[in-house]
Parts: sequence; C-alpha cells; structure tokens
Amino acid sequence: MIAEYLDTIERALAHDRSLARRVRREIEDHLWEAVAASPEEGPIAAQRRAAASFGDPRAIAAQFAAISLVRRARSTGAVLILVAAGVFLTMKVRVVWYDAMQCVAGNDIGALNGHLLAVDRYAFWLAVVLGIASRLYLGNSGTWDALSPRYRRKLHRFILLAMVAAGALLVSVGSDAALTGLRLAGPGLSPALIVPLASIAVEVAGFALVVLHIRAAARGAASMRILSEA
Amino acid sequence: MLKGHLDLIVLAALAAGPAHGYAVIEEIRRRSGRAFDLPEGTIYPALHRLEQAGLLSSRWVTADTGRKRRVYALTRRGESAFAERRVVWQQFSDAIAGLLAFGRPDGSPA
Repeated sequence: MIAEYLDTIERALAHDRSLARRVRREIEDHLWEAVAASPEEGPIAAQRRAAASFGDPRAIAAQFAAISLVRRARSTGAVLILVAAGVFLTMKVRVVWYDAMQCVAGNDIGALNGHLLAVDRYAFWLAVVLGIASRLYLGNSGTWDALSPRYRRKLHRFILLAMVAAGALLVSVGSDAALTGLRLAGPGLSPALIVPLASIAVEVAGFALVVLHIRAAARGAASMRILSEA
Repeated sequence: MLKGHLDLIVLAALAAGPAHGYAVIEEIRRRSGRAFDLPEGTIYPALHRLEQAGLLSSRWVTADTGRKRRVYALTRRGESAFAERRVVWQQFSDAIAGLLAFGRPDGSPA
C-alpha cells in the first residue's frame, strides 16, 4: 500500500529525479512513522489510513512540481545572463589574444568579416536584453502561487522568451565560430590557436548549458500542466 | 483561511527547535489543542517552499528505526521572518479582538 502510494508520487515527479527521490524518502519515513503510531490497527488498515491522511498523491506531487518548476525557471534566467556574460568575456579574451599575436584578418575576407561582426554584435546584445528581460519578467515571487493558471501562463511566456534569447545566443556563438575560423584559416595548426579555439569551446558549452536548463524548465512546465489538469 | 497562514504555523512549530515533517505536524496538533488538524501532505511542500525561500535549512539524519529522515530548522532569516510575522499577526489579532469585543452580549462597547 505504502510502496504503491510512493511510486505514484515518484512517477509524477519523474521530470526532477533528485526531487522525486528526496520526496519519496521523506514521505516514506512519515508514512511508516504514522503506521507505527497506531499499533492497535492491523498493518494493512494502518497503511491505508496513513496514506489517506497524507492526501491525494497526485495533488501533493503537483505542489512539489510547482516548487521545482519555479526553482528551475529562476535558475534558467540566471544561467542565461551568466552565459551571456561568459560569452562577452571570451570575445574580449580573443581580441586581446589576436592583438598580442598580431593576428589580423586578411583583406580578401574583410567584407564577410564585417557582416559577421555586425550579426554577432546584434545577436549577442539581443540575447543579453532578452535574457535580462526574461529574468525580470519572472520576478522573485511565485513559489507560493505557482499552481495558479495565471502564474503558469507567466512561466510559459518566460520559457518562450528564454528560447528566443537562446536562439539569439546561438547566432552569436555561431558568428563567433565563423569569425574565428576565417581569422585562423590558413596558417595551419600552431599553439597560438589554442586560446581562440578554447574560447569557442567555452561559448558552445555555455550555450549547451542554457539549452539544458530551458529543456528542464519546459519539461517541468509540461509535467505541471498534466498534474494540474488531472 | 488556515492555508493562508500555513507558513507562519510551520515557522512557529519549528521555532521550538529542529524537527522532521512528522514531528512538525504533531507539534502543530499539540500546540493548537488539535484545532489545526491539517492534511499531512500539505506540510511537506510548505517545508520545501520555506527552505527554497531561505527561511529553513534541512539535513538528512538516521532515525532510531534506521530510516533516513529530513530534519528542518529555522535559519537566521527564518527566525527574523517568524518574529516579524508574529508581530503582524499579533496586531491583526488584537485589532479583530477589539472589533469583536464591541458586540459582546453584555452590550458594553469595548
């Protein structure tokens, strides 16, 4: 009886495995303590009563899912801003490195370089503005009313905003990679390439981190919707 | 109405000292003279919410039964929040008591 009850909660929280495990252990301890507190009842009756007193497992899972979703959405907004700051830093590091290495773009790629630089600049600042706007839009309230349809709509809009910001970031990182490729094409492999290539790798890793966070928030929102509608 | 004050109730129960979820529920029942017999499952999301808000901290301990259990305690921020909310509640309670006393059966204004 208790195992079945715990399985229902854990399945409902499958989108956040660490939370599901923690909640399962906490509730398991609670239910067995409730059973032990009523030794006069038979074991099955005591388990049934403990589970009934605890409440509808899906309704309880929905409350935990709401808390998890708010936490994930907030961390997604923060990661978006931090990654944008990281990308900015790597761009600056590359510029300093090119100056130190006296590495200049060839005249034959000057025009393409200029176009890519413009795309990179606009996409990057668009990502920054949207990232900050999405985090501000989400605000700091919400954990207490995350189950309300109004707040769920807000989270949905936040995820869309974060996805557009991530798209702009992808364009910026892609432009950076192309610009680096153009600048480094030709001279062949040398230790001087390590810094630009490593900086591009850092940008790509940062972008992947943003995507993972948005994906987790979107999965949380989907689970939340299912639990709320059940 | 009780739901709106759940956080204050949980903070008050933990003001006595660290406790796990089951003990928090028992403490609320005992100190309220069993007037607050909350659905047990509502306490745990409240504990998680308050922890996320930085008002509680928690850690795993091993109970005498050998089972792992999560013990919650007020943080400094939680203690401050509890003190503030208690003052607000006391003012509200006094104001309501004053209003209700006006309509006492003996007809005397408060």
